[in-house]
Amino acid sequence: MAADIANPSVSIQDLSLNFGAVSVLQTLNLDVAEGEFIVLLGPSGCGKSTLLNCIAGLLDISDGRIFIKGKNVTWEEPKDRGIGMVFQSYALYPQMTVEKNLSFGLRVAGVPKEEIAKRIARAAEILQIEPLLQRKPSALSGGQRQRVAIGRALVRDVDVFLFDEPLSNLDAKLRSELRVEIKLLHRRLQNTMIYVTHDQIEAMTLADRIAVMRGGVIQQLDAPQTIYNRPVNRFVAGFLGSPAMNFLKGELEAGAVPVFKADGVSVSLGRYQFDGDGGPAAKPCIFGIRPEHIAFGDAAQAMPFTAESTVEIVDPMGSDTLVWTKLGGQIISVRVEADKTLRNGDAIRIGFDPARASLFDAQTDNRL
Amino acid sequence: MADVASLSPGAEALRRGATGPSGPKPRHVLSRRNIFLYGTLIVVALYYLLPLYVMIVTSLKGMPEIRLGNIFSPPVEITFEPWVKAWATACTGLNCDGLSRGFWNSVRITVPSVILSIAIASVNGYALANWRFKGADTFFIILIVGAFIPYQVMIYPIVIILREIGIYGSLTGLVIVHSIFGMPILTLLFRNYFTSMPEELFRAARVDGAGFWGIYLRIMLPMSLPIFVVAIILQVTGIWNDFLFGVVYTRPDTYPMTVQLNNIVNSVQGVKEYNVNMAATILTGLVPLIVYFVSGKLFVRGIAAGAVKG
Repeated sequence: MAADIANPSVSIQDLSLNFGAVSVLQTLNLDVAEGEFIVLLGPSGCGKSTLLNCIAGLLDISDGRIFIKGKNVTWEEPKDRGIGMVFQSYALYPQMTVEKNLSFGLRVAGVPKEEIAKRIARAAEILQIEPLLQRKPSALSGGQRQRVAIGRALVRDVDVFLFDEPLSNLDAKLRSELRVEIKLLHRRLQNTMIYVTHDQIEAMTLADRIAVMRGGVIQQLDAPQTIYNRPVNRFVAGFLGSPAMNFLKGELEAGAVPVFKADGVSVSLGRYQFDGDGGPAAKPCIFGIRPEHIAFGDAAQAMPFTAESTVEIVDPMGSDTLVWTKLGGQIISVRVEADKTLRNGDAIRIGFDPARASLFDAQTDNRL
Repeated sequence: MADVASLSPGAEALRRGATGPSGPKPRHVLSRRNIFLYGTLIVVALYYLLPLYVMIVTSLKGMPEIRLGNIFSPPVEITFEPWVKAWATACTGLNCDGLSRGFWNSVRITVPSVILSIAIASVNGYALANWRFKGADTFFIILIVGAFIPYQVMIYPIVIILREIGIYGSLTGLVIVHSIFGMPILTLLFRNYFTSMPEELFRAARVDGAGFWGIYLRIMLPMSLPIFVVAIILQVTGIWNDFLFGVVYTRPDTYPMTVQLNNIVNSVQGVKEYNVNMAATILTGLVPLIVYFVSGKLFVRGIAAGAVKG
């Protein structure tokens, strides 16, 4: 799992965390390169926030070691780890002005006044919060509050930024604005950033690498495109992508050209890239294809696999339309352009390239 | 449009300008419900206020007027003589300097007890809520169980302990006793309040490098004014009104106001001066009364805030 990174900025080795009998994280390994933007992605309760709190030193771990900048910080206090943290609920001190909020950590550490002023000026300039410095957090909007919270991490002049679902409390519009700002911030500062989210769009757009987690275990750690195109198991495949990937149950038939067979459908897998070497054995499997990889109408004709079907339900989504139809007796969705006018019961032609599909073992859910 | 209207039978009623209920629903001031509700409230309020009225009226009368026996009639000749006597010259035992001595004793007991108990209990509550040390739950349970042990059981052992330490009968001893007995309920109050504060705030302060006392003094304390007001009210009224500990752990010249009031009212020699007794009682009850009036709003807000999470 651990990638070979020569000088990792953050290195987590065999980390375990138990709350009583409940194991939250299990011998987890993760190396983060200098200046890398890592996103920890997963559903609620997968341990991603817990992992972040362990890195921050806010939770005592049960086993393993944590290195930041080559220094073993396993037993260090949060303030001595060289990290800054941004929380989902902003966690601004309500009785202090923005300026006092930003300077609190520095004042605690006894940094000289001129230095504090200098760092606040720099952070305020980067985040464009100069006009807000004398306000109390209660007089700020959600987006402004989160900017101040980022500023609080910024003034500490740290090596590693930790973000714990920082945009989850914002509305959709602000969320996409701040997402871009965080990306710009990363490009400007070139710091290592570890970012926890359950939002796959944030993960896809921000990350250099995504770590998809489930049940305290990292399922896949890779570049966003790789995770999107070649998910290692059915969980990762289903979690990433909206609308979700279609799954068809069926049988894999071995041969010179392996074939996927489901009720009345057979897909030749000659173009599919199997994991590992040697031909796959015949077994029950699940065929996954994303709605946006299924072509429709004339475009379908050019695809290696085509089929006739009828429209069951039409879901207009504005930018495009999701059409629900049947393939091999199982419901699948197809993404089509919004200008196509379709009605329930229309006969349509769909097609796809099996090279873009993902095949999973029905027993283990792992990619074939 | 025409065919749509003819299709639905209620179309006529839907037309604009048709009669029928519209706008806010009218309310009747003299409805049966209101008469019953406010009638009950007024009766109950009178029931509770009547004794206070009798006390004030009686305390303003001279003794001849009281002897007429009409306790509800307002004073014909208003006199403040009983108030002056109750404060400055009424006799209890050998002392004849009125309630003033007891008042100052009570102040000397209440102020340090309130400060000490709240200072300790708030730190207790903060530690229990935010720093989950090993055995925190056990410690908390023991503390809460302490709140349910009857005071009577502990009176004599505490007398012995205070005697052995050598502070039995002094104000210091009583202050310590009050502080200890306030601990369970105050700790519970503070713990619940601090638990209801967002935990991320505490975590942010830790990342910022603040320690146990730094977080307490600079983050938690400024945010917990309401709960401190509640604690102050609870303690001021509780300790001021205390009689049992006052009578057990002090000597006649250090008696708190409540004990002295009892001695004035229950003295058996001579004529019963009802007007002086009433004035003395009102004087003694004045401090908690003022505390309630001044801080009523904050009190309710703080109680509500502390009660949300347990």
